[in-house]
Amino acid sequence: MAKPPFAEAAGGEQQAPQQPPPAPQQQQGGGRGGAPQQPPVDPRYNWSSTPKTVVGSRVKRLDGPDKVSGRAKYTFDIKRPGMVYARAVRSPYPHAKVVSIDFSAAERVPGFKTSLIVRDPKDPKTSVVLYQGDEIAAVAADTEEHAIDAARAVKVQYEVLPAVISVESALAGRAPEGGFPNGNVRAANTQEVGDVAAGFAAAAHTLEQTYSTHVITHACMEAHGTVCEWDGDKLTAWVSTQGVSSARDNFAGGLGIPQTQVRVICQYMGGGFGSKLQLGPEGLICARPAKQAGVPVKFTLDRKEEHLVTGNRPSAAAKIKAGVSADGKITAFDAESWGTGGAGSNAGFPLPYIYHTTPADNRRRAHKDVFINTGLQRPMRAPGHPHGSFITEIMMDELADLVKMDPVEFRLRNLPPEAPNAMWGSYLREGAEAFGWSKRHPTGDTTPGSIKTGMGVAICTWGGGGRGPSPAHCEIASDGSVTMRLGSQDIGTGQRTLVAIVTADALGLQPSQITPEIGDTQYGVSAGSGGSTTAASTSPGIRIAALKALDALKEKVAPALGVTADALVAAGGKIQVRDTPSKSLSWADACKRIGTQPITADAEWQPGMTSANTSGVQFAEAKVDIKTGIVRVTRVLAIQDCGLVLNQLTAESQVYGGVIGSLNFALFEDRILDRRTGQMVNPNMEWYLLAGMSDVPHIDVRLKNMPERGVVGIGEPPTVPTAAAVALAVRNAIGATVRSLPLTPAKILETLTQKA
Amino acid sequence: MPKRKDEPGFSRRSFLKTVGASGVAAGVLAQGAKVDAQPNVMGPGAVPVTLNVNGQTLRLELEPRVTLLDALRMRADLTGNKRGCDRGACGACTMIVDGRTVYACSTLAIEVQGKKIRTVDGLASSSGQLHPVQQAFCDKDALMCGFCTPGFVMASVGLLEQHPNPTPEQIRKGLDGNICRCGTFTRIFEAVSSVKGVRRG
Repeated sequence: MAKPPFAEAAGGEQQAPQQPPPAPQQQQGGGRGGAPQQPPVDPRYNWSSTPKTVVGSRVKRLDGPDKVSGRAKYTFDIKRPGMVYARAVRSPYPHAKVVSIDFSAAERVPGFKTSLIVRDPKDPKTSVVLYQGDEIAAVAADTEEHAIDAARAVKVQYEVLPAVISVESALAGRAPEGGFPNGNVRAANTQEVGDVAAGFAAAAHTLEQTYSTHVITHACMEAHGTVCEWDGDKLTAWVSTQGVSSARDNFAGGLGIPQTQVRVICQYMGGGFGSKLQLGPEGLICARPAKQAGVPVKFTLDRKEEHLVTGNRPSAAAKIKAGVSADGKITAFDAESWGTGGAGSNAGFPLPYIYHTTPADNRRRAHKDVFINTGLQRPMRAPGHPHGSFITEIMMDELADLVKMDPVEFRLRNLPPEAPNAMWGSYLREGAEAFGWSKRHPTGDTTPGSIKTGMGVAICTWGGGGRGPSPAHCEIASDGSVTMRLGSQDIGTGQRTLVAIVTADALGLQPSQITPEIGDTQYGVSAGSGGSTTAASTSPGIRIAALKALDALKEKVAPALGVTADALVAAGGKIQVRDTPSKSLSWADACKRIGTQPITADAEWQPGMTSANTSGVQFAEAKVDIKTGIVRVTRVLAIQDCGLVLNQLTAESQVYGGVIGSLNFALFEDRILDRRTGQMVNPNMEWYLLAGMSDVPHIDVRLKNMPERGVVGIGEPPTVPTAAAVALAVRNAIGATVRSLPLTPAKILETLTQKA
Repeated sequence: MPKRKDEPGFSRRSFLKTVGASGVAAGVLAQGAKVDAQPNVMGPGAVPVTLNVNGQTLRLELEPRVTLLDALRMRADLTGNKRGCDRGACGACTMIVDGRTVYACSTLAIEVQGKKIRTVDGLASSSGQLHPVQQAFCDKDALMCGFCTPGFVMASVGLLEQHPNPTPEQIRKGLDGNICRCGTFTRIFEAVSSVKGVRRG
């Protein structure tokens, strides 16, 4: 099993990096944990108890027609009778004290409805804002245009305070105090394992370099948005969220009302990537005016707000010293790392990533969280891993060059032992063969002309796995209709379709015969969709509930077929006698025996049907124009496992999406701050660069199905290694190392100039 | 193309672009407005606006500043097309106006009176049968969260009505004005490549 890296970032959770390395134990959900040690599930319910008829096939999304036709109603599309529109008043300054708020001009704007103070100037505890975009107040008006007018008319007086903008000046102690409870820099305890000095003494070569990654924002296509409607003391909220249950709890806590008085609905949502796991301040900024005004209120953030206040992926940097033996083994690793998650949020990431030192585990790491006056980080697709991957993998190729070894061979020598959840060695060999790695030239393409070509490789891991209780409720009615109901949500992963697949598979039906009911707290409590845990958390409860309902149906049908219930199986839309399939009843005829009271069954997640940890490897080929510095990624090969594949079609889509997301991280997107004012200079979608169709390379996906491992999860791992693989392809092409992301043309030209 | 008499002198998109380009441009714009003499002044209050959308006539009362996208989404409950960036960069709002794809977030509703406006809401047949492009998106899994999808569908329809048998390069260029954050580009490319039989518009 893999040695746990330092400062693991848990999926979907914020975790302080000063924690000691996690002990090798089972970890359900989130970042990579230890090997699963689970008791076996009741064999009647396990995945192997029935032949897989639908699970693992290519099933089109059930809600595809609704999405392509515009019929799917997102929170942004919800309109309620009498609904008015809210708009926030936000700080233009990164650090300031609110002195006064004057609504008088706003109240004269046509259609003005109500106002809300978020930062009370009289309250010293809340009157200080810590980043551009921090909420000051809100207004609501009859149209969105009037709400914008009213928000502009609110007069706010500020006492502008000095701000920390630069991580470097904060680290150097040159920055003013940014107003954070723990100061500008918080150092974690140094973590140390083994004998680092002895490890370096055994090294033939030593590498000392600094690597870094930048801050990006989630940039969800559907901005964070909420519609709140009160009926007396009961709140119904449509929220663009990754967790209807957690949103309900956040509303109840923030408003001081019982959770049972809040209903949260999210049928469709336009992307979250971690930024919609918790209800942000925007939720209460909608709910409170709705209560005050006595009408439904809609609050949708605009694109600028979305960049400023709804989260970001923290930066990461590490000054690394690594020793390597003449035969290509890392003997010691010493890192001083830091990163910023904005105003008071931490910025942990695993380091070194996956690879280990031999013959002994000799590692040291000291980490600092740097706080600057910008919006708070929120978990973003595989928190910590893309940063740890980039920093570690660039180091790997630099070490490989020191010992003049092929990067694949060098990686094979420094991997943890192979295991079902640690298949990097096999995937590296398979991928090298498939990608044509043998044609890769040593560092630096010597082909004449300005276009240089190179290849790179990087690996990934992620925990995933399931967690309980994740209850599911199955209902079979006498007309043959089947409903599977649970408080989960579809964030674009295809969860709605997975619910139907798992149910249909258990009942011998087709997914189109199942009605999945999700996205509503009335359907029960379920975990948020984060950490690639949704499929693994919900599918056991779904399958067991369906099989229990089927057991009840068999009892009703058995007398008609002259057998006992345990002699029956459901297959091909029939209930039939196992040994004589000709003795059967169609599903419709079988269900006619149910009577007026539908069959219902409930079940929860059980251990043994899911496991944790995935492994993946990606190869990339890039062409670089050394005259312009422009990078074009031409090919990517992604080999990825995720345990039992539930829907081959949408699982592949997850890998494509992960690769393209990581390509954006590598080449394009970047939250750029004005170094003097602390304001984001590209809070839009034309200068916050994201890949378009022409930027996307040819992507080959090889999905490894491992049914024996149960469901693990696929959303996050494929977005980890692409950036590093691309950066290494660029390095291989140009013969110089860019040690920070993004790989902009300017940076590449600068690196080439320094090399010359 | 000759400008209609009641057409304002600039679109919201060109206005945003000009202001975005440099502070100096704002002055240029103000001067230009003066030189343009007496345009047909509308607003600032609501004015009657008649739109031809998906073959239906819509009569609305709108402030002149209201975009085509917001007019249809917030005043006519045609919520299929989405607002992603609100600045003509992401393409989620893409509609087809008189046969050409436009960013509806950067087109004023008053500008497109008398023109034929097509949105994703009206693309499927009245019996609900999907347009071949919509069907291809479903078949190839060319969508994830689905928020950018209506814009991609309309951009693809616009492309295929101009080039019924597009080259791979035409598909890429034709859809470069749209952004998907989930990363469905590979599947969208497969979907659009697979569509046959769209009639030239």
